[in-house]
Amino acid sequence: MRKDDERYFTRIEDRLDEAFDTARAAKAQGYDPETEVEIPVAKDMADRVENILGIPGVAERVRELEGQMSREEAALELVTDFVEGSVGDYDSREGKVEGAVRTAVALLTEGVVAAPIEGIDRVEILENDDGTEFVNVYYAGPIRSAGGTAQALSVLVADYARSLLGIEEYRARDVEVERYAEEIALYDKETGLQYSPKDKETKFIAEHMPIMLDGEATGDEEVSGFRDLERVDTNSARGGMCLVMAEGIALKAPKIQRYTRQLDEVDWPWLQDLIDGTIGKDGDKDEETDDADADADAAEESEDGAKEEAEDDSPADPAGPARVEPATKYLRDLIAGRPVFGHPSAEGGFRLRYGRSRNHGFATAGVHPATMHLVDDFLATGTQIKTERPGKAGGVVPVDSIEGPTVRLANGDVRRIDDPEEALEVRNGVEKILDLGEYLVNFGEFVENNHPLAPASYVFEWWIQEFEAAGAPVQAFEDDPSVDLEHPSPEDAFEWAAEYDCPLHPDYTYLWHDVSVEQFETLADAAADGRVVDAKADGGVAVRPEGPEGGDGVLELERTETVRSVLERLLVEHSQSDETIRVPEWRPLVRSLGLTTDLERTWESDDISPEARQWDGGENAVKVVNEVAPFEIRERAPTRIGNRMGRPEKSESRDLSPAVHTLFPIGEMGGNQRDVSEAARARNDEGTRGEVNVRVGDRECPDCGTHTFKSKCPNCDAHTEPYYECEECGTVREPDESGRVYCDRCEREVESPDWFQIDLSTELREALENVGERESSFPILKGVKGLTSSNKTPEPIEKGILRAKNGVSSFKDGTVRYDMTDLPVTAVRPEELGVTAEHFRGLGYDTDIDGEPLQFDDQLVELKVQDIVLSDGAAEHMLKTADFVDDLLTQFYDLDPFYEVEERDDLIGELVFGMAPHTSAAVVGRVVGFTSAAVGYAHPYFHAAKRRNCDGDEDCVMLLMDGLLNFSKQFLPDKRGGQMDAPLVMSSRIDPSEIDDEAHNMDIVRRYPLDFYEATLEMADPGEVEDLIQLGEDTLGTDDEYRGFDHTHDTTDIALGPDLSAYKTLGSMMEKMDAQLELSRKLRAVDETDVAERVIEYHFLPDLIGNLRAFARQETRCLDCGEKYRRMPLTGDCRECGGRVNLTVHRGSVNKYMDTAIQVAEEFGCRDYTKQRLEVLEKSLESIFENDKNKASKISDFM
Amino acid sequence: MPLETPSRIVQELARHGYNAEREAVTLIAGAADPATALARAVEEAGDDAFRVTAADVRAVLDAARSADAETTPSPTASPTGDSTPAPDPSVSSGDPGDGAAARAIETPDETTGGRRRREANRSPVPVDIAGDITGQSTGTGEYADFVKVFKDRYERLSSHLRGRVNHRPAEAIQRMSGGSDAAMIGLVNDIRSTASGHWLVELEDTTGTFPCLVMKDRDFASQVDELLMDECIAVEGTLADDSGIMFVDSMHFPDVPRTHAPNTADRHVQAALISDVHVGSQEFMADAWTNFTDWLHTEEAHAVEYLLIAGDMVEGVGVYPNQDEELDIIDIYDQYERFSEYLKQVPGDIEIVMIPGNHDAVRLAEPQPGFDETLRDIMDVHDARISGNPSLVTVEGVKVLMYHGVSLDEVIAELPEEKASYDEPHKAMYQLLKKRHVAPQYGGHLRLAPEEKDYLVVDDVPDIFHTGHVHKLGWGKYHNVLAVNSGCWQSQTDFQKSVNIDPDAGYAPIVDLDTLDMTVRKFA
Repeated sequence: MRKDDERYFTRIEDRLDEAFDTARAAKAQGYDPETEVEIPVAKDMADRVENILGIPGVAERVRELEGQMSREEAALELVTDFVEGSVGDYDSREGKVEGAVRTAVALLTEGVVAAPIEGIDRVEILENDDGTEFVNVYYAGPIRSAGGTAQALSVLVADYARSLLGIEEYRARDVEVERYAEEIALYDKETGLQYSPKDKETKFIAEHMPIMLDGEATGDEEVSGFRDLERVDTNSARGGMCLVMAEGIALKAPKIQRYTRQLDEVDWPWLQDLIDGTIGKDGDKDEETDDADADADAAEESEDGAKEEAEDDSPADPAGPARVEPATKYLRDLIAGRPVFGHPSAEGGFRLRYGRSRNHGFATAGVHPATMHLVDDFLATGTQIKTERPGKAGGVVPVDSIEGPTVRLANGDVRRIDDPEEALEVRNGVEKILDLGEYLVNFGEFVENNHPLAPASYVFEWWIQEFEAAGAPVQAFEDDPSVDLEHPSPEDAFEWAAEYDCPLHPDYTYLWHDVSVEQFETLADAAADGRVVDAKADGGVAVRPEGPEGGDGVLELERTETVRSVLERLLVEHSQSDETIRVPEWRPLVRSLGLTTDLERTWESDDISPEARQWDGGENAVKVVNEVAPFEIRERAPTRIGNRMGRPEKSESRDLSPAVHTLFPIGEMGGNQRDVSEAARARNDEGTRGEVNVRVGDRECPDCGTHTFKSKCPNCDAHTEPYYECEECGTVREPDESGRVYCDRCEREVESPDWFQIDLSTELREALENVGERESSFPILKGVKGLTSSNKTPEPIEKGILRAKNGVSSFKDGTVRYDMTDLPVTAVRPEELGVTAEHFRGLGYDTDIDGEPLQFDDQLVELKVQDIVLSDGAAEHMLKTADFVDDLLTQFYDLDPFYEVEERDDLIGELVFGMAPHTSAAVVGRVVGFTSAAVGYAHPYFHAAKRRNCDGDEDCVMLLMDGLLNFSKQFLPDKRGGQMDAPLVMSSRIDPSEIDDEAHNMDIVRRYPLDFYEATLEMADPGEVEDLIQLGEDTLGTDDEYRGFDHTHDTTDIALGPDLSAYKTLGSMMEKMDAQLELSRKLRAVDETDVAERVIEYHFLPDLIGNLRAFARQETRCLDCGEKYRRMPLTGDCRECGGRVNLTVHRGSVNKYMDTAIQVAEEFGCRDYTKQRLEVLEKSLESIFENDKNKASKISDFM
Repeated sequence: MPLETPSRIVQELARHGYNAEREAVTLIAGAADPATALARAVEEAGDDAFRVTAADVRAVLDAARSADAETTPSPTASPTGDSTPAPDPSVSSGDPGDGAAARAIETPDETTGGRRRREANRSPVPVDIAGDITGQSTGTGEYADFVKVFKDRYERLSSHLRGRVNHRPAEAIQRMSGGSDAAMIGLVNDIRSTASGHWLVELEDTTGTFPCLVMKDRDFASQVDELLMDECIAVEGTLADDSGIMFVDSMHFPDVPRTHAPNTADRHVQAALISDVHVGSQEFMADAWTNFTDWLHTEEAHAVEYLLIAGDMVEGVGVYPNQDEELDIIDIYDQYERFSEYLKQVPGDIEIVMIPGNHDAVRLAEPQPGFDETLRDIMDVHDARISGNPSLVTVEGVKVLMYHGVSLDEVIAELPEEKASYDEPHKAMYQLLKKRHVAPQYGGHLRLAPEEKDYLVVDDVPDIFHTGHVHKLGWGKYHNVLAVNSGCWQSQTDFQKSVNIDPDAGYAPIVDLDTLDMTVRKFA
């Protein structure tokens, strides 16, 4: 590791240590459930694994093994350790297997996700019918987060441990085998599996599986056939087991086989049959369906892979250009209010440009900010888009170094808009968006998705390399202040093309491939008939230019629909009057058309070769233009990429619903708001004021023996411990090593919670006094109805008072959280982050990306891996949290404040936790700045360490000290999944080799080589050119693993474009949908009828049909006590409380979209099929909701 | 060959290898010179056609300037000598039914010499229809409407059970002392198996609920397997010591009396029972349908005076996702137009009754009203009687309960295979008869539209119970009631293939209304 990096991590860890010192001092006072900080620090993956599992000694052994073998092999190696007892302190055989299995899953998931603790409930040893023993692994739903390979390997590990322990194999009874098949089919139907094994396959696996796979019931739906089995304790589908069997064993058979072959003790010869796919294929019927499946798969693959047919055909039949196949998958399930930006590969859609902007890579899409504004602000930084290729979805990032959109204004002017400000000015006058501009995708994205390269747009970075290769003195031109290589004058461009025999500069390369040969000729004729007039003249005097160099005139053409539309397709800027079309930049156009600048034709129609004329069926004039123009012209934009909006971006605080300030239970007393003050005033059932009867943990003071629910003894200030007394026999029990408390005598679990009568008004008053606050310091203090944790330990009310005072609320684990959409950034300017170069120097940034000393706010600086940028909202929320933490330290713990923030600049350099849903490990990050975009920008490796990519995923940040002080495992719900989304461990430094390897596929170069662009025309496999472009994975394990993340494109600011997507600023669903359809009419790349069809087909109709179905088979619910009934009670009233029972699905919710859907279908000319479906539904609704004999009259009846 | 009767004309056309539209036959028969007209019509139709259409004949007749061409001749009344149909060889189809119903499946053979074109002498009497929701739908989807339906169900079904047990309301039973004998009539509210394998059946009446325990070793315990939610049963038993539960000693269903004596017609007359025509589907079997309607024109079918169609006239639109890709006719109105064309092939003097099914363009929720005015106008050619689903249709004194049969799916799914399966759909129908309700279970597959009474209750015991929907042919007798599930006119669809359902397509069950004997004819 370089010194610089070492220094960076040390800085972070020093600040972490400081925070720990304060937190330890606070915790030691005993107010909290535990007297220690409950989030251990993990320096590496081995640490995380150990901490998440809580098995001592694992980390050391993992580190030992890691150097020698792969992670999978290490997991198997550890089995021996567990069995021998050298790792883990298990006496029982069950424990040994369990430890080995959990460790394997933890290792394979890098100790980040919750699967190893939540996804495996327990391991049992049961008896076979012949009296021998076998191992049963009991899975739970969260095993999902482990992924197929880890799931499958967990079974292998269990089997290996089994054989080492000398336990027999599981021999499934016939009914159990049948049950597996029925259950997996049921689960697939109910929840859906990535891979649906056929019944025969499932049965085959079940018959051969040496371990019994069992698990918790996860769904309501029950199997109908093989019920009430002796060794299966539920009739519902066991989700965890189904996942392991289908997506683990069945899908990953080849991977498991690789490891079974290495082990002598484990032999799964039957895997071969699975891999060969010979199971479930005997019998004609099956064969047929299999084949059909295979065909469908193949079809999908070709759609996904977009493998070009021309590739195979072209040698024989060179009739057209290389093109990727349009893919329509992204348009499925279109939602009302989320617009389509382009139909598959449609002209006028986004033009693919290769490159990585500094805020780009890792499932993101670079879009010009002017485009974002012109699509009526539907796209903002962080908005997710579903895309045609190369991946499925991406987060939108603003990049203004690519070309902007081209529009036609109401006055007929066609203009390209490269400035977001200009976009806002002209937006209201835009009649048609002719082209959405460029769409930046980095090469790594194609590698990650293993998508063949699509033909590249002809752009500056390609041209300049061709220019150089043609022998041009590029360096000299760059040094010449009178030459602008990127945007040259037409004269320069002609000269270079002629002199160096290099293709025409992209600035003057029009989209000839989008016009037909016929249209080309029409335009050439029109241009030859045109005249050059004074730019200012209103069509009066024709001015002949004095030569190719001189004259500022514009080309005036007669206005016809064809000419106009051809110019629009070519994206040639022009203006129009009633009779004429004027092209200001006309010389490149007429030269390309094969005319001289005196508008004289240099060719006749007969000169065009048949090959050029027939190219792509005559629909593509690029060959023709190359034949008649005096220079070579490349295809400007051969690949268009269709898109639609996915999720909107997110930046908001995470609150429980209703919001919670304190995890203190007040039962039903606080009303719907759970208002603690109200509960403290209200009379309870017995008429006593302010007394609540709630179930909380019974704790005992070790010093004076007082029983209390508080963590700190009210009599002697000692820290209390949970008290476990067996309800039956009264014996006091202690928890065992695994935390379970069990009464041997009564053979039952012992719990600590008990009913307490709490004098809430006194508790509240005392708490207010303790922290020196009054009730007026907060608008409302919300508690919880009851506690869901196993020991039901309440939080001190004081913490809630201070949260309420500072306007923050608590998550289920006691922390304050803020959610943001993840976006990557590898280089930043202090200026755009609202901070100064001085701030940055203070953070340890000395130089800019070119190695120059950092002096100015607008210098570009490479971001360090754990530095993050907060959205404005997050910063504000963190300020409030910091104030809360300081109040807590000073007013509650009586310590010095830690943050002392006045303004948000004071947050710079402070540490936060980043944490993703479904994981259990937090990553420490450092705040370096702020952005107005509603996203969390951070280094891609930071996101990857949390196991996120940036395709619209979101996760949360927490303020470091808040987490250390307020998080406790004791608050976590005692239910499946309760440990997910909680910081059970934190990583203090990121090791790039231990993160999700998706991030390693990001390219980190300044320029893609010429060979790359040429390879795209061949639609090469990304692997073929991988060596030409450095990826993140190439620097792993070297000194450079933390630096050198170069980019090919810059952007002025990482927060350009609208701050919020219109989807969030528009009000009702109807407004959103109106805007969506309005936009679809404006976009040339979008077929608005298709959009309307899809909205009706995928949103309105399913909604209507679903609600109608739900109506006719609905449950009912008591309005008073909430009791639910499968069917309406014959008494009419609630059987529980006599209250009023009502429907759960009403007429209003059934037909809310009916009128709109009909109107949209009419207005957008949908197919009769669609209209008739709506008609039939409308009649159904009428028939159900209207009385035949007393038709309700509508206003429309009188109109 | 003299061509004075339509049957002769049909035979002659068949000899040339043609089928013919009914109207075409009539036109030829009415022509001045039928033989020439026929010969020229055959020419006109061309070699590729296999049907001579009315248009073909008109073209010929117009060309010949035949003065009578436009007038439709009245059927000649002269009876031919051999009006008794020659017995056809019966084709045994294994053992499809287990009642006393006939079991033969006959394939009409076009070449059988004895077959004659029938004289038009049918004189069906108008049918009487009861329990039709059409035009009577008064529910507005309120909670109270739902409660009313279930109360009505309880009242009407419990009336069949009251005489059999000495029942008490749930409320009263709750107050009875432990150990006493009790009986209760209620809707099944919940069925659970206990840890020890006994059954806990919760019954509900208008006063409340009461749990009833059926011990697994009781001989009637297997009947619990047949229970569906929300059907009405009666139980007798003893209360537990704490009066919290009843140990069931016997269980009763509304059922059809074993002694049920079916009504029969007082003359020899037949009805064809079909369903699931699915016009508009790519799998609709036009040829089989034409064979069927052609046969209706023959002498052999002279007694068939009624045609009952139990739903799914057309394939419909939007019945399942991406259905449009599998439609032959995408427009729903065109589907009914075409269906109407096919209906025209049925002799005009046959009385037709139709109810809708789940593919038809009416509401899916049951009871389903009959077709609306627009669709009736399209199908008005034949002046068919259109009724709701279900309907009790009295034909020549014989009560036919027509129900499309959506609930059969659920009965088959919920009950053990030996009691109901797709291969023996009539057994599932027996269950519905036993429960005296065509679709008891609420909240599952069935969609219920709340009306002021429960139209799905089987008030009167029918003599024939006719359903379709599952596309399987099956019939048999249950307590003397003939249950018929009538197959379909749609060959196997991709979906059916995927779930391994082999439909019985192209069959027409023909019932003798005077004996309730049944013959199945195969046309595909």
